Amino acid sequence: MRAILSGVAALLLPFSIYAADSKKAPGPESIIKSKELSLVRVNVTGQGYDFIRPWQKKAPFSKRALGAVLPHGRVLVTADLVANQNYVELERAESGDKTAANVSVVDYEANLAVIEPADKQFLNGLKPLELAMDTVVGDRLAAWQLESTGALVVTEGLVTTIQMTRYPADVGQFLTYRISIPMQYRDNSYTVPLVKNNKLAALLLRFDPRSQVLDAIPAPIIAHFLKEADSQNYRGFPSAGFGFFPTRDPELRRFADEPAKTGGVYVTSVDPDSSAAKAGLQVGDIVTAVGNNQLDENGNYVDPLYGKLEFTNLITARSFAGDTLQLHVLRAGKPMQVNLTLEHRAPQDYVIAPYSFDQPPSYAVVGGLIFEELSRQYLREWGPNWQKEAPQRFVYFDRFQSELFPEGNRRVVIMSQVLPANTTIGYDDYSYLTVQKVNGREIRSLKDLTEALKQPVDGFLKIETAEDPKQLELDAAQVQAEAQELQQTYDLPALQRID
Amino acid sequence: MRRCILFTSLLLATPALAQQTPPNPRASATASAPPQAITVPVPIAPAKPNGKIQNSLVRITATEVEADYRAPWNSGAIQRGIGAGFVIDGNRIMTNAHVVSNSRYLTVEREGDPNKYPASVQFVAHDCDLALLKVNAPNFFKNMTPLTFGGIPELESTVSAYGYPIGGERMSVTAGIVSRIDFQTYTHSAIDQHLAIQISAQINPGNSGGPVMQNGKVVGVAFQGYSGDVAQGVAYMIPTPVIQRFLKDVSDGHYDRYVDLGLSYFRLQNPAQRRYLGLKDDGRGVLVGTVVSASSAAKSVKSGDVLVAIDDHPIGADSFVELQGERVEMPEVVERKFKGDVVKLDLIRDKQPMTVSVQLGTVWPYFLQGHAYDVRPRYVLYAGLLFQPLSLDLLEAYQAADLRLRHYFDYFISEEIFAQHPEVIVLTNILADPINTYLAPYRGSIVDEINDKKVRTLKDLAAILAEPTDRFVVRMIGDGPPLVLDRAAVEAARDRIKTRYNVVAEQNLEDQPVASAPPPPEKKS
Repeated sequence: MRAILSGVAALLLPFSIYAADSKKAPGPESIIKSKELSLVRVNVTGQGYDFIRPWQKKAPFSKRALGAVLPHGRVLVTADLVANQNYVELERAESGDKTAANVSVVDYEANLAVIEPADKQFLNGLKPLELAMDTVVGDRLAAWQLESTGALVVTEGLVTTIQMTRYPADVGQFLTYRISIPMQYRDNSYTVPLVKNNKLAALLLRFDPRSQVLDAIPAPIIAHFLKEADSQNYRGFPSAGFGFFPTRDPELRRFADEPAKTGGVYVTSVDPDSSAAKAGLQVGDIVTAVGNNQLDENGNYVDPLYGKLEFTNLITARSFAGDTLQLHVLRAGKPMQVNLTLEHRAPQDYVIAPYSFDQPPSYAVVGGLIFEELSRQYLREWGPNWQKEAPQRFVYFDRFQSELFPEGNRRVVIMSQVLPANTTIGYDDYSYLTVQKVNGREIRSLKDLTEALKQPVDGFLKIETAEDPKQLELDAAQVQAEAQELQQTYDLPALQRID
Repeated sequence: MRRCILFTSLLLATPALAQQTPPNPRASATASAPPQAITVPVPIAPAKPNGKIQNSLVRITATEVEADYRAPWNSGAIQRGIGAGFVIDGNRIMTNAHVVSNSRYLTVEREGDPNKYPASVQFVAHDCDLALLKVNAPNFFKNMTPLTFGGIPELESTVSAYGYPIGGERMSVTAGIVSRIDFQTYTHSAIDQHLAIQISAQINPGNSGGPVMQNGKVVGVAFQGYSGDVAQGVAYMIPTPVIQRFLKDVSDGHYDRYVDLGLSYFRLQNPAQRRYLGLKDDGRGVLVGTVVSASSAAKSVKSGDVLVAIDDHPIGADSFVELQGERVEMPEVVERKFKGDVVKLDLIRDKQPMTVSVQLGTVWPYFLQGHAYDVRPRYVLYAGLLFQPLSLDLLEAYQAADLRLRHYFDYFISEEIFAQHPEVIVLTNILADPINTYLAPYRGSIVDEINDKKVRTLKDLAAILAEPTDRFVVRMIGDGPPLVLDRAAVEAARDRIKTRYNVVAEQNLEDQPVASAPPPPEKKS
């Protein structure tokens, strides 16, 4: 089995020690000054799931971080912090008092979570932060950290860029502030609030201490998240479900019968079952405007606050799941309107789920063959460089999933590895195979597999794979007879877990 | 047939042991690579003196021109390498293919003779890293002693290697023992696996092509080893069965390459799987995984068949057969055959025994995954867009890490990509010009269709681009808009691009052999 780089270490890497004297740059006092504390320490103990040995959890980790105190007794942190948590506690910085807390809402795509103390009085005396929604390029923001004594440490930075980027879950484009800031590393700087005029402007997303560049989740995304969080059921950020390409090339524009002065983007793909597919958007359409916002040839609209910005912001930040968005489209040169009813695309709506936290992976151990559904979380077990290190065929499946599985609505079942046993003699070297059929039945999910395994053919379980050796057979009776022994030999708590 | 490497072996072997020196006449090889005094090899006395090998050994200096896949209209970089060779019967010199590949000018020298003699390649076999040279000077072979070949040396017996390690002027001898006899990938082509013998003699660049002797007979040709940081005291020689096969193959005047069954096979060691397939518990048979449809075996062998005997040699469940008293991997039976020969396979299909005959040939889709030598790269340059067929050399030249390209390369055979795309045409590079200024995002993509016509080969592409039409709509594989070219604009830019980038020719569609290389192998009727 592979040596796996712990996901925890990977998450902590960007915060490698930064040690240099930072002279505080002079700035408007109002930005950085705070008379009342709005921070609370957040201590998280958790355990990730082991996708290579899917029956077990990894060794526990502990993280210390900061939370931004919000109105109504809530604390805002990044979702990274509470992913796979077992226990979350809040700690008052000035007194060291602690209380247990619950994660009430979490969104891994926007990388935000709200936690609430079990003791409602616990946050008394802390000043809840309002949101500062008006940050623009050139503004100065203050990063708030805490000394071990509980004293506030303030570092000031400059917002250099506001653009759309991908967050760690790698799902969709989100508005991001890029800030140049000489921030010092502290053991509790996991979630660092960035503040403007004593209002919360952003939350740290990632920080590179060498270049002193910090990316932050901006207040408009936080506000969107909090508004959703207030509703009865949290729906997540909406997605349109289509890929696009700029139309700067005049030859491409002529080909698409796009008039010279019109902007717009070329639709390159429409995800199966997506909002765009349901609305009838087609590959080859030119999207010229979203609502009242004209798009230029790169797909930028003119935002009243930020100026030119990619139109995806109109979907993720400005719209909610359930909203209808009017797309103005040129199809074969004819203008038309496509009404997108936006939906959130949950990880289970993908063929290969983009992320998976807080729930154990499904698996089945049969005879000693380990079957799982392929997920990006599985591939991430190969460490931060997983796109190069993980089995390349599976990385290819993940990257091109909408192209390779256009029908959607299925999973890719893999035979990950083999536990050597009497039943698997001679199979020990097989790994990373794609299962196509079991006992003659098409396999499109792990459930299909467990159902098919109940129907042996002439006493054999026949597993057909896309790759060589193409077929593996097991003796059905022997598999059953030796199941308990296999379970004991390898300390498997259960031979399968199907969600 | 490709043996399945289930254990990823550490074949980080130094691909060529020919000493490479820059073509600078003043820089001597020893000066550029001083010998490192690290290990003192324990002297092992040869069992029997091998005689005066000086009378048989030649020092080969090859001036090579390496194809430039990134600017394929250029002739490429000029390099000089030094290797060894030895005289065999018929006034021929045997050496490694990698000593003389891509060579434009060859000279040979012999011990005790101050002259250099021009030589030429008579036959070269890139798939087994062997070559034969001839020398026109009538006196060259006078007083030279042709060496003769022995058999496979015993394990642990002593052998001596002769050559010009790290480029020295005088013959060097090292001794070692036979450590292992096994199948190995021949790194010169990177795809071929043949028998190779591992020896413990010190072998270094410049030893390549030199004879390895025992009891006065050649038992191998030194050809590859590991770089020092991977393994030491591990060197490989080409054993005499491979050498004899090469000599027999060229005896009719041309080299036909190794033949291949064109299938993958797997050991049958699982009792349940054996019972499922209707096999007895007799430890025999291998399972056929993939049969390449482009192979002649595809007519008579299917995936799921069990091969139980090859030419009446029983095949063990571990894929070994007994051949002349030695246990060797099953492909060794095919290895010893030639193009057009027939191999008899006893197999079990749906529990029924059958016997089939397969006429052996080469399996062309494999060639994409191996190195090519002595040919100019093929390409089409149109509108400043460089189109080239995917190959190992192309991937290495561009150090391409693109996931889709890698997939098309790795699964070219097993997913039968070759059926749709016998050549995978890649837009590898763009020579920037106003007519292609917005086309950068298409770089690295694979051409699928142009004007709704499937592009299966580079020739298809060239033919379509020569059609008189207003514009070309190039569809790439995968998502993404088509690449659209206005023909009139492209024509207007042609001379400009050619001049600006010093492009000698806009296309090369044929596998043109370079000047000094041997004529292309003719088809045997």
